[in-house]
Amino acid sequence: MSPASRRALVTGGSAGLGAAIVRWLLAREYAVVLLDRDPPQSVDGQVDFIQCDLTSRDALDLVVPGLVGAGPFDLVVLNSGIDVTGRFEDMDAQAHIDLLRVNAEAPMVIAARLMEANAFTPGAAMVFVSSMSHFTGYPGAASYAASQDALAIYARSMRKVARSKGVTITVAFPGPLRTSHAEIHTPPGADASKRMEPDLAASLIMADALAGRKNSIPGARNRLFAAAGRVFPRLVTALMRQLIYQRLGR
Amino acid sequence: MIGAKPRRILITGGNSGLGLALAKKLSSRHALLLSGRKSQADVAGTLPTGAGYVVADQSEPALSAEALARGVSDFGWDSLDNAVLNAGIAIAPREGIDSTAAIRQTLDVNLLAAILQAQALFPLLKKSRGTLTLIGSVVHSGSATIPAYAASKAGLHGLARSLRSEWKGQASVQVLHPGSAKTGIHDKAGYDPGRMRSLFLEADDVAAMMASAIAGRRSPVTLSWVRYLNGGAFTGRRL
Repeated sequence: MSPASRRALVTGGSAGLGAAIVRWLLAREYAVVLLDRDPPQSVDGQVDFIQCDLTSRDALDLVVPGLVGAGPFDLVVLNSGIDVTGRFEDMDAQAHIDLLRVNAEAPMVIAARLMEANAFTPGAAMVFVSSMSHFTGYPGAASYAASQDALAIYARSMRKVARSKGVTITVAFPGPLRTSHAEIHTPPGADASKRMEPDLAASLIMADALAGRKNSIPGARNRLFAAAGRVFPRLVTALMRQLIYQRLGR
Repeated sequence: MIGAKPRRILITGGNSGLGLALAKKLSSRHALLLSGRKSQADVAGTLPTGAGYVVADQSEPALSAEALARGVSDFGWDSLDNAVLNAGIAIAPREGIDSTAAIRQTLDVNLLAAILQAQALFPLLKKSRGTLTLIGSVVHSGSATIPAYAASKAGLHGLARSLRSEWKGQASVQVLHPGSAKTGIHDKAGYDPGRMRSLFLEADDVAAMMASAIAGRRSPVTLSWVRYLNGGAFTGRRL
């Protein structure tokens, strides 16, 4: 297949990791369908922008037929996500609702509808972008962690039906990234140099997806963290408590 | 513990399945408030004597949280020793792909309602240094048969893991993962387990294991055949 005819869908593609993934795809001459709440910054290549605020079920229902019709896709990256930290009991109920809608429900719905409609080319790859929080407790962002766990396990659960349609599923667990989204939510004093460049994370995740790997944890430091979280859950959760919960404004 | 004073225990989904089995187990020693979707009239006669009942439909997560908080105060309680968020639904999808409505309803009832209820009940639990118990499932690590249900239970697992640390010193948080039990959940889900059903644990035995896990306050705890064969339904702490 000629490169120009390859098609990709990226949700949350206007900023952060999603924008980096779009850049990676455009550099390889994919035609990209980009779904986001906000329009993309300057892009260099063929991009069809679909505006959608994923906190709204009605808004998603309106765009789903168009998304499905824009296929078949060689690559689908369900990357959209929001990050809200705070004491669980003090957060607005609406913040909990929006976290679940954008981070878990919307990508689950999009994946199910694409899968049902066979909107994939043979040998296509689908990527669900979860979070490093999947490997640890995340005090200070409990409902965020819940949403990312739900997404990761939905992705894993969909592998069987995806395989029957010749589609591979990769779950990506990026760690801290140097994005504007992270600047807002990381506490003051956090060391930006320890966060990964989104372009590097994007290239590592895309490589894992195209190789059909089940999981993608970009970066050796993050892989070590994920392993530690599984072997020493209490210790790592206590560390996260210091990093997130203890630094929340009082 | 023998001679321990009666606790104030709230159980959501306490009018059927594992919730009702747990309520029956605890009703002789503790004060119970149960919740469910059905009306007061529809559940009359099925609940253990002395147990209170509040209507809280979890398909409206925010309203269900308000209904529970109001129900607790209407029942004359100003604190809770235990909140067991047990209510849940399963919807078996055709060919392994959930409908949009099923994904939304499953996440609303099983996960979002639990999040908003935990938030609403926190002050009551904190007052008596109580325990919040989330009822997950053994499929929290994934299931091709019921993907959205598995996802909702994974969310509860993650919620408990984080909240347990956040609320340290204020209230305990735990998640229990029961295996398949002989309850009505499979029929309601539109799923026929066939001969597999004979391998499911009795609801009573799972409820007994839930009770001792709740008393033990540990998390996460898997309540399946392994625990059962080790005497999990007959030994262990008494609630």
